[in-house]
Amino acid sequence: MPDLRIEATINGRKIARNAKPHLRLLDFLRDDLGHTGTKEGCGAGECGTCSVFVDGVLLKSCLVPAAKAQGTRIETVEGLAKAGELSVLQQAFHKAGASQCGYCIPGMVMAATAALRANPFADREEIKERLGGNICRCTGYQKIFDAVELARDVQNGRRPASALAEEDAADGAFIGVNVRRLDAPSKVSGALKYAGDMVMPHMLHMAVLRSPHAHARIVSIDTSEAEAMDGVEGVITAADVPGVDGFGVFVHDQPIMARGKVRYVGEQVAAVASEDPLIARRALSKIKVVYEPLPAVFDAHEAMKAGAAVLHDYAPDNIVKHIPIRVGDVAKGFAESDLIVEETYSTQQVEHAYLEPEAGLAYVDADGVVTILSPSQNITHHRHMLSRIIAQPINKVRFIMSPVGGGFGGKEDMVYQGMLALMAMKTRRPVRVVFTREESIITTAKRHPSHTTYKMGLTRDGRIKAVEIKMISDGGAYGMSTEGVMRKAAILAAGPYAIPNVKVDTYGIYTNNTPSGAFRSFGALQTQFATETHLDICAEKLGLDPFEIRRVNAMRDGASTHTKQALKSVSLTRALDAAEKAARWEPGVPNMRGATRGDLNGEGTRPSCTLGARLAAAASPKTSEVA
Amino acid sequence: MAKKRGRGVAACWYGIARTATVDRAGAWAEIDDGGTAKIVTGVTEIGEGILTVLAQIAAQELGVRPQDVTIGDNDTARSPEAAHAGATRQTYMIGNAVALASRQARAALVDVLAKHWSVDNQSIKTAAGEAWAEGTNHKMPMSDAVHLAKARGVVPVGSASFGTDTTGLDPVDGSGRPWQAYVFGCQVAEVEVDTLTGEVQVLGIWAVHDVGRAVNPRGVEGQIEGGIVQALGQGLMEDYRTVNGHATTPNLAKYILPTSLDVPHVTSVILEDPDPLGPLGVKGIGEPAMIPTIPAVMNAIYDAVGVRITSLPATPEKVLEGIIARTAKRNINRVAAE
Repeated sequence: MPDLRIEATINGRKIARNAKPHLRLLDFLRDDLGHTGTKEGCGAGECGTCSVFVDGVLLKSCLVPAAKAQGTRIETVEGLAKAGELSVLQQAFHKAGASQCGYCIPGMVMAATAALRANPFADREEIKERLGGNICRCTGYQKIFDAVELARDVQNGRRPASALAEEDAADGAFIGVNVRRLDAPSKVSGALKYAGDMVMPHMLHMAVLRSPHAHARIVSIDTSEAEAMDGVEGVITAADVPGVDGFGVFVHDQPIMARGKVRYVGEQVAAVASEDPLIARRALSKIKVVYEPLPAVFDAHEAMKAGAAVLHDYAPDNIVKHIPIRVGDVAKGFAESDLIVEETYSTQQVEHAYLEPEAGLAYVDADGVVTILSPSQNITHHRHMLSRIIAQPINKVRFIMSPVGGGFGGKEDMVYQGMLALMAMKTRRPVRVVFTREESIITTAKRHPSHTTYKMGLTRDGRIKAVEIKMISDGGAYGMSTEGVMRKAAILAAGPYAIPNVKVDTYGIYTNNTPSGAFRSFGALQTQFATETHLDICAEKLGLDPFEIRRVNAMRDGASTHTKQALKSVSLTRALDAAEKAARWEPGVPNMRGATRGDLNGEGTRPSCTLGARLAAAASPKTSEVA
Repeated sequence: MAKKRGRGVAACWYGIARTATVDRAGAWAEIDDGGTAKIVTGVTEIGEGILTVLAQIAAQELGVRPQDVTIGDNDTARSPEAAHAGATRQTYMIGNAVALASRQARAALVDVLAKHWSVDNQSIKTAAGEAWAEGTNHKMPMSDAVHLAKARGVVPVGSASFGTDTTGLDPVDGSGRPWQAYVFGCQVAEVEVDTLTGEVQVLGIWAVHDVGRAVNPRGVEGQIEGGIVQALGQGLMEDYRTVNGHATTPNLAKYILPTSLDVPHVTSVILEDPDPLGPLGVKGIGEPAMIPTIPAVMNAIYDAVGVRITSLPATPEKVLEGIIARTAKRNINRVAAE
């Protein structure tokens, strides 16, 4: 197809450009015009990071063909204020602390701008509704609502412009003060470049071939047809690894690309680089991989049984790690208990869903240093691993951490940086990879799902005499952070309570599922969900207030932990007191007393959300007229 | 009534920095021309606000303003190791390392000023871009102080490392010192459950967390609010599913995340129990913020409708199933009683 001719007005300037007909407006703005403030988060209109105005209408530019830009007036985040300045709304985001990783923020600023254009007096509930098409994974939205309300009031003259200005900090004391985020202006304006926004001269684009099988032997890989394609500059497989292959946070069990066999669906098998990302993707289909499917296992309990499919030769029992914690004698503790409560708990696999999909840029510099720029949460460890993998001394490997568009633990694994390094070494050109949302979701680590059996013995006055906790967790196909997650889950499992008899076992297990890895709160979320729910059940059975049962058992200053560590200061009872007071908690037994509570619906709650209530209210006067 | 409310509570604890291993972080500091400052350390924002936190710490320790501080890029070939961005360790490990490095750089400048004014080192004060000798009329902007130091052949630099006194765990009974700083917290949740659909709305969360010492209270609130909403996602809706290893939730249309309409009002209460071992007293907040949320919400659902959720997430289908099962059980009991 011939190129398109696009003439449009973008941020007040007329442009006339030829463009490839397959481009989306998002690609045209970012790749052809360099407006990288408009981000890609999902490519499917679900997240809102790519929001722009087309003829004044807020649209998700990933859903708009570039051809539709012809003759339109487009505004991107870069055009909301004069160069070097910020709009009132952008200033309000800065003031309110509404940006964290910043990746959703340009889209959020656009949606908020649209909200206040649509209704300059929108109240908080309407603002929430109007931002409903934009996902933020960091902030919890509250400071974003605060920012939009602040901007609204300044624009309406209800609050002075000085409300946006710097007024924090004084007298040289800066610790303990709400200093405004120094990185916020770059985020609210879209100026900050994430790895996927960066380009280098003569840069190649890399695409990755992935396993369609959960467990299969690789009989052969034939890349010759792909390598012969016009425009293909390099193809790599595990055969290109010059050193000792293998990475992982605790055990180096994962090859840069599948070696000999694949262990989960989506595992990287080969990669192609080309100046044209489309050619790189097309070339993937020319790589011929012959697989011999192997028996697979998809359940952690099944994987622990004799005869189950084995993923890694070094772990014939499929156990990544077992962590035991032992204090006292639980049998004795249960014997001394008046009440024994048993329950099982389970938690699901969860995706980090940072708005910035994985992206990176690698090159070999003039001194032969293999350099990788990526939003990695652990460049120090990546440097060590890559140096072994490419058989280069540490000082010939350089990792640069680019701004991270959300991590939450999901960017601690070196899942694509090794491929980038190999491709840059092979082609001697800069190479960039940007994952699609689907690649990001199906190929990177998740929060460990868990299955926990729980037994607690207590005396009538609520004192915990013994707990026995066993958690089985599906670690998926590779070790990643499983060992550490099991350790933290075990240490913190029984909660911040002084318990004389404790038996905890956590097991991380290999299966052919998507790997599990590091995720904010790292195993402690799973085990403490069980403990804190269990305590509520026990409190009901014993007729105790839930704060009371926690106070009775709370660790205090000088307490010994379940790993027999002596603590100095323990703030738990202060936290309990403060929470009880802040929530104006009405004491009582947790026996379904919701209907009779007197502490509901007070300060600190939001109105119940009824979708469309605003529209119904707006429509109702007419209805009443008719009536 | 179709909508029922309830409340629940849960507490938490958490260890700060790397687990059951020695953690460490390094930093370099320089008081630079014009009274500005350079801090170089292996750290980059993952969104939590660490760059601002480090600038605040350096500014206070050196006597400049946060906006005068430039933080160098995280680059294994250009900056000292500060290890990884995770484990609720950045404010604790790197914050303390930056404080120690800044104190050393400041000491170099103070030496020059004390000699210049013929006063004791202890009498020199620096704050917000000015240096002076207490009890005298001697005072100059930091820009002049740096100029003076350089004229005397001194570049005011410092470097420091902060490490933990921790151990691994015994392989048999798990005993050991996995962390040197612990934090504690507690949250109360208020929910509304629609008994016709099973939908749960979380209307309010009151969150109390010990952070040691809050460097930037608004940033701490941001971590608490964000952590709570992330936990609500797992508690109520998020569910990554595979069938024979193939993801059935491979995109954001299938993998459901909390939006602006799903979030409660969060009331944060910051508790400060300073860490006695680090120079600043700071601890951390990133991860512990999300731990009590899920059990507090599940306990609140029980309070509201008597359905005990032990398997996450508490989808409308699951909650409704629980409500129907309870109603059926009640009816059977009633029939049996009759």
